[in-house]
Amino acid sequence: MALLSIRNVFKSYFLHGKRIDVLRGVSLDIERGELVSLVGASGAGKSTFLHVLGTLDAPAAGEVLFEGRSVFSMNDAEIAEFRNRTIGFVFQSHYLLPEFTALENVAMPALIQRRERAGAYAYARELLERVGLGQRVDHRPGELSGGEAQRVALARALVLKPAVLLADEPTGNLDPATGEGIHQLLREVNRELGITAVVVTHNETLARSMPRRLRLAGGGVSEA
Amino acid sequence: MHSAERQTVHRWTFIWTGALVSLVGFILLGMAITHSDAWAEVGSALGLTLVGWGGVLQVLNGALLTPAVPVGGAEQLHTGYLLGGMLVWLAGWGLIASGLRRAPAPAEGPSPAAGASLYPRLARYRDFYWSTLAAYGGGILLAELALVLLQTVLSSGVPSTELGAPASGNAGGGLSLPPTLAFALSLLAAGTVAFVSGFIGASRAQRLSLPEATIGVLYLGLPVPIVLTLMERVPSLQLALGYRLREVTYVAGLLGRPELAYWLVFTALVLALVLGINTGFIAAGSGRVDLKLGFELFVARRHVMVFRPSLLLGTLAVLMFGIIPPLLIYFVIRSAEAAVERTRIRALGLKDPLAAASDLNRLKLREQSPTMMMTALSVGGVGVGVMALIIVLSVMSGFEADLQKKILGTNAHAVVSKYAGELPEYPKVMESIRRVPGVVGQTPFIINQVMIASEGNVDGVIIKGIDPATVGTVTDLPSYILGGNTLEILHTPEKILDRGLPGDEPEAPAGGSGQEGVEEDDIIRRSGKPAKPPVLPGIVIGRELAASLRVVVGDRVNVVSPLGTELGPTGPIPKSRAFRVAAVFYSGMYEYDSKFVYILLKEAQNFFEVEGATGIELKVADIDDARRIAGQVVKVLGGYPYRARDWGEMNKNLFSALRLEKLVMGIILSIIIVVAAGLIVATVIMLVLEKRKEISVLKALGVPDGGIVKIFLAEGLQIGVAGGLLGLFSGLSWCYFIEKVGIKLDPEVYYIPALPVRVEFVQTALAVVIAVLVTYLASIYPALKASSVEPVEGLKAE
Repeated sequence: MALLSIRNVFKSYFLHGKRIDVLRGVSLDIERGELVSLVGASGAGKSTFLHVLGTLDAPAAGEVLFEGRSVFSMNDAEIAEFRNRTIGFVFQSHYLLPEFTALENVAMPALIQRRERAGAYAYARELLERVGLGQRVDHRPGELSGGEAQRVALARALVLKPAVLLADEPTGNLDPATGEGIHQLLREVNRELGITAVVVTHNETLARSMPRRLRLAGGGVSEA
Repeated sequence: MHSAERQTVHRWTFIWTGALVSLVGFILLGMAITHSDAWAEVGSALGLTLVGWGGVLQVLNGALLTPAVPVGGAEQLHTGYLLGGMLVWLAGWGLIASGLRRAPAPAEGPSPAAGASLYPRLARYRDFYWSTLAAYGGGILLAELALVLLQTVLSSGVPSTELGAPASGNAGGGLSLPPTLAFALSLLAAGTVAFVSGFIGASRAQRLSLPEATIGVLYLGLPVPIVLTLMERVPSLQLALGYRLREVTYVAGLLGRPELAYWLVFTALVLALVLGINTGFIAAGSGRVDLKLGFELFVARRHVMVFRPSLLLGTLAVLMFGIIPPLLIYFVIRSAEAAVERTRIRALGLKDPLAAASDLNRLKLREQSPTMMMTALSVGGVGVGVMALIIVLSVMSGFEADLQKKILGTNAHAVVSKYAGELPEYPKVMESIRRVPGVVGQTPFIINQVMIASEGNVDGVIIKGIDPATVGTVTDLPSYILGGNTLEILHTPEKILDRGLPGDEPEAPAGGSGQEGVEEDDIIRRSGKPAKPPVLPGIVIGRELAASLRVVVGDRVNVVSPLGTELGPTGPIPKSRAFRVAAVFYSGMYEYDSKFVYILLKEAQNFFEVEGATGIELKVADIDDARRIAGQVVKVLGGYPYRARDWGEMNKNLFSALRLEKLVMGIILSIIIVVAAGLIVATVIMLVLEKRKEISVLKALGVPDGGIVKIFLAEGLQIGVAGGLLGLFSGLSWCYFIEKVGIKLDPEVYYIPALPVRVEFVQTALAVVIAVLVTYLASIYPALKASSVEPVEGLKAE
């Protein structure tokens, strides 16, 4: 059984009151441990697709199955818990919470689960060291550079060892060298922790370096 | 929530014309009613119609109305109006209805998704739950009934004899608690019922279910207060229900305006229901009951940071000393600090410019965000409200306590008398009363109204015959006597000092007083006085009366009773008797000091030809329990013809006016808190707008909607709690200041040298609790707004 299955998903967004159907009956399977890249023109619906996959947005029709279970038939609390435990997000901006230190930001998903604080902080510290930020744990996001903040965000996405990592143009705001560092981290995460990752990107070289490549165009997804 | 909204098309010309036409119909109907003089009949049904369940009643009323149309020349006209109005009214509504159309199906073809399965949650969505309606409506109704029932069961009960029922078999009065305590307990219980049912309803439906709540409150909650209100006005209802609900009406009547009490209590219960609904939704709205708060508080504390010493101290300073002085001090300190900092940084910069730059940056980081300013303002607003409530209510309580002390000092806690006639057997009655637990003192009295005349003036007063030996066990009268006198001097009138001024020789007593056996006492009469005037009985008068009559101790006054005339040479003349002022008392209440005079019981018996006494005054151990003990006394005496009235009943109007005044004052001052609540709403909404992105991120990280609501509620509550505590602290400090230092009052006007203060625990705690509750209620809307932020919205790449 596939880890993630998308069955006949429709989704539109609205621009100035006009409906734009970006997903028209998309069906797709993603196996456990895959590293997938998703490319497509701006406005083709890559982010929308990722949001539906990550349960941030409900589709208009169709189902998303995780290990055979329909995620959108769960109630709010179950979906929130599913997001918390199973999915890690990395966005184009780091979206760290400005009032909290890097360490607290990384530990946040564990704190949401109401895990015991000391343990959460210990593992968060370990992760921060792993992404090379062992010296910056007590800095607030405002005091970190773009690349550092994105690495903190990656650590945050990984703190609960999710089954799926969804990255929405994680290097879009970074210079090529810094971006390459993040890509390296993503590949390591996929290889060493066995985390399934879907990475939306505009970066063709990065996309080509991924084992499985998807292209979103005309409301459908095709293997590229 | 994803709701499938039904699209409608409005044809506004139809709707407006229809509204106009039905208005004309309404006016015609109104004219028909006016002509038939039937507004009173229609009015009650109309009132019920406004809440929806008057339809049947109105039909009945209409049927009754038609034959009531007066027969005569005008009859044709009224029926015309009635029929015409009805038709026009219906036609208007028909037009309005035809103005609303369902939207036509869109012209374009089906979307590519036509036929695909809707995603499961939306497919299962229901927009009305009967069980929720039952929980909300049943809950509020149950709470009201519980309140009425508990009050009836718990309260001490009106003395049953007063209602003409036999002394035994008292229908009410199960547990015999004082009515106010019983009310507090019942209100608590009813509030809990409303809260719990709201909680259960919302947590089962997992949403707020506002339609259900509205319908439940309107249709199941309103009838009870409406019936109670109507009971005051409709005699048949009063007959049917009045006796059973007498405990409820008694407690409500303590406020002077029972309707006000009913509706206030109803509002309180609805609020409890709303709180329950909201709490239930937050706790369980996202799928399961989750009452833990650790994480949410962790986030909320970082967001608003209310409990910083600088903010708390600053707000407290403003509350204690007003806005200007702390602001001045703040500016002085800040500018001094800034000057010092800048000098230091400049000195640093001369050596190392980069170090200066980083220090400048640190200085900039300390500046406050607008949200912080709003937070401080909201805390201050709540603080001012709570402080004002505490101070004003405490001062009013001070006045009330002072008044109560004075009234109870001069008056008894309860009075036993007969429904008609006198109490010749009072020694026997007193013997029986002595066995009633709770009675600590009793004294017989005779009361009457007379004229009192001195040489200088005349006044109408209330005269009281007292027993000096026992009067001290009931009232404080003995301690009010001025100039070292005692009441005992009434027994020995011959010892009253005569002023004995030359030429002030009393004339021969007028009227019947001369008939009294005049005793001469050689001991106190000075030898220089040849003519020995009769020894007059003593009378004790108040200081104000003494001043207006221009008499002092030893002066003679005439008491004239309009009752019991005597036959004089020219026909019946009023009975008159001369007294000598034996002592002057000062109670501090103008009413008493100018209107009451006291004589010996025996003298009063003779003067008014009363056998025994008018009644017996009682003092009880606990004045709040006076009503129950009065009932007990009547029970011991065997009921009719005896009756007992407690001080609250005797001074009912005064005290209910005071209570109403305090309540209205409290409501008016609560407006400050409501304004502060508005500030909180604004602050939390600003926070929500400021934190939209963070909310989305938190949701993406797996915080459920309920968690977001909790975070923002906690932020509002922090402001409320901080403001409430600051208000409590500053209010109490002010009260302490007023009590210790004192604010002088004009004693001529107020009879009190300084502003009285009495801090009552319950009302002070209530002020804080109400403030916190109001802030909680105020944060509900912004918190729900926060939870409805779609994660996708906030995560859009800028």
